[in-house]
Amino acid sequence: MAVIAEPVTKPVSRLHFMLDRREVLENILIAPAIIYVLLLVGLPLLLAMYYSVSAYTIYNPTWQFVGLANFTQIIDNPNFLQTLGNTFIFTFGSQLLGLVLGKFGAFLLLRPFPGRKIVRALIILPFAVPVALATIAWQWMFDSLYSVINWTLIAASIVTREDAPNWLGNPYLAMLCVIIINAWRFFPFAIVIFLAGITAIPQDIIDAATVDGAGFWRRNYQIILPMILPIVAIGLIFGIVFTFTDLSIVFLLTMGGPVGATSVLGFAGFQTGIVSGDVSHGAAISLFMLPVLLVVVIITLRFIRRREI
Amino acid sequence: MEISRIPRVTRRRFLKETGLTLGAAGVAPLISAPFVSSALADTKTLTIVQWSHFVPEYDKWFDDFTKDWGSKNKIEVTVDHIPVANVAARAAAEASAGSGHDLFGWNGAGGAHLYRKFLVDVTSLVESVEKKYGKVSVIGRQIGYNQDDKTWSAFPDFYINFPSMYRKSMWDEIGMKPDTWDNVRIGGAKLKAKGHPIGISLGHSNDPNTTWRGLLWSFGGALQDAEAKSIVLNSKETVEAVKFVAALYNEAMSPEVLSWDDSSNNRYLVAGIGSLIVNPISAYRTYQKANKKGADDTFVMEPPKGPARRIMGGASEFYGIWKFAKNKEGAIEFLKYYADHWPEAFKASEGYNNPCFANLVPKPMPILSNDPTSTPNDKLAVLQNSDEWSASPGYPGPSWPAVDEVYNDFVICDMMAKAATGAMTAEESVKWATQQAEAIFKKWHGKT
Repeated sequence: MAVIAEPVTKPVSRLHFMLDRREVLENILIAPAIIYVLLLVGLPLLLAMYYSVSAYTIYNPTWQFVGLANFTQIIDNPNFLQTLGNTFIFTFGSQLLGLVLGKFGAFLLLRPFPGRKIVRALIILPFAVPVALATIAWQWMFDSLYSVINWTLIAASIVTREDAPNWLGNPYLAMLCVIIINAWRFFPFAIVIFLAGITAIPQDIIDAATVDGAGFWRRNYQIILPMILPIVAIGLIFGIVFTFTDLSIVFLLTMGGPVGATSVLGFAGFQTGIVSGDVSHGAAISLFMLPVLLVVVIITLRFIRRREI
Repeated sequence: MEISRIPRVTRRRFLKETGLTLGAAGVAPLISAPFVSSALADTKTLTIVQWSHFVPEYDKWFDDFTKDWGSKNKIEVTVDHIPVANVAARAAAEASAGSGHDLFGWNGAGGAHLYRKFLVDVTSLVESVEKKYGKVSVIGRQIGYNQDDKTWSAFPDFYINFPSMYRKSMWDEIGMKPDTWDNVRIGGAKLKAKGHPIGISLGHSNDPNTTWRGLLWSFGGALQDAEAKSIVLNSKETVEAVKFVAALYNEAMSPEVLSWDDSSNNRYLVAGIGSLIVNPISAYRTYQKANKKGADDTFVMEPPKGPARRIMGGASEFYGIWKFAKNKEGAIEFLKYYADHWPEAFKASEGYNNPCFANLVPKPMPILSNDPTSTPNDKLAVLQNSDEWSASPGYPGPSWPAVDEVYNDFVICDMMAKAATGAMTAEESVKWATQQAEAIFKKWHGKT
């Protein structure tokens, strides 16, 4: 009788056994991302939190705990309240403008026309151009002496040089300028979001609505917009977070002027914490963004969950 | 027949091989480090960072100068020129990281006193240069010198003065000279009516911070006392100065000055619109390159005299050596050599860099006393004595972190602008600025 040899099974090491388990492997693969976030986001955030309740300055790098004294001093300053208000106006103004432009842009780019692919590629440029270069270009357009906008208005006899808009010198116009630049940077992103949302809507739903007699506006506001709202809300979260924490446009264009009219939290935190060396107060100013952003993100995510269909 | 098969990549195999590759890549530098570091040790280096000079030729000269010094001393010198707006953030980053360049060049407010604990004491270096080239001027002493323990945190390199530049033909036409602030206002109003206003920025940048401080001092006002102990801003003199600026703005300037950055007034002059600006001579040099005829009509004079004195803000430049610098000795040796050749630096800057040591550039100074590019040749001669009317932001006291923060928050500029635009009365504006300054001083008094 032939004896069939039993296959010799190599002893499986404990490590190999662990790696074969899906949940272990998942954790191993996701670990670098978590470590990255903890080290480069979590740790600096904790550090900033501690700075904000300490007396730490570049002049005297001490870890002495001072409680909420830094926050009290900041809130007592009327300039800070103006800065906080400016940050809200800047953020929500530019997001609103960006969304409106994005919506229009998306509708235009959905329609077939010659060179649509090229236009779609070019429209992304404001989003891709480095903020420093873009802001400098805008700075020239708003320049008091060489503004191409004013030049056009004067050439068209709409205004005289004396009456030409003082774009960066008038507090309201200066705020409008920083909003316009940020909206200009944001709107390609909004177009992409809207395009992704609109093209994902099944055509038969649109067709059914059309057959039922729904016109452009009804299709737009009662069918398309409600259906793409979750994805738009996600885009909006990104936009709000990035704008609320942004300082680059203000730093490059107005330095918070005229007379503090465009100073925003990011800029004020940078000036106090880095330029003036008062790290603790700079961190405290910056941390005012945290609760605001947290509330905005929670509300938006809850809204999305309720709207999900 | 043997069939070659591509081995199947299992999850386990992928992890194993990737891990080995990454491990090897990680270990390689550790193994080679001793050999590489010993090779590097044979080459000494000196790294310098400073702002990109407004006179580009100066940067070119400086790069060649350092290279020449490096080759004489067998030291590889690297000079990084960064935009002036990035200096503060760069310094903070290097100090926080405890790593960076050996020699750090600061511009204007801040720096030497703020980073005092991070900087090598250069008292003996400054004293040795003082012995050779005379005492450090008032403006040179205000930022780098520590009054409390009589030490130097940084080496005073040069200061930038802010003279007046006016279009002679325009002022001749109205029969006036802008030698006092009152004349600037009265003449400016006349010239504004002819389409040539005064061009002094009321925006958020260094020039207005410097110029309006100068005007405040010339009216007898100041932010702090000579000992930097208390704020003296809320005074009759300050209110008068603010009232004057409001009148100057409304009568002789245009609202566009509220939006200006540091280069706007230069363009205003070069465009042939402005009848007077207060600025370093870089504006004049730019004008010379753009329009020789217009530049010939532009005259440089001392800043206007106020009711109390003739004085103007200036910007001091300093070199600090980090305590964590890899080549501290090299940095000190370089600064000694640099001081001995400072007149060359002066010439390369076309008279823009002004000496902080009394006899560093003996008078008559080259270029300033006889500038072949200017008509007349002695147009810039008045700048030879600019140390007599130039002061740093803390005047009459020293600069220190609280003074810097008042500067960086544009409190003095905004005090002037609020009254000028009618947002506040002069009294309210001074009260507002005093409250701002008091909060900043109180904060820093507890931290220094």
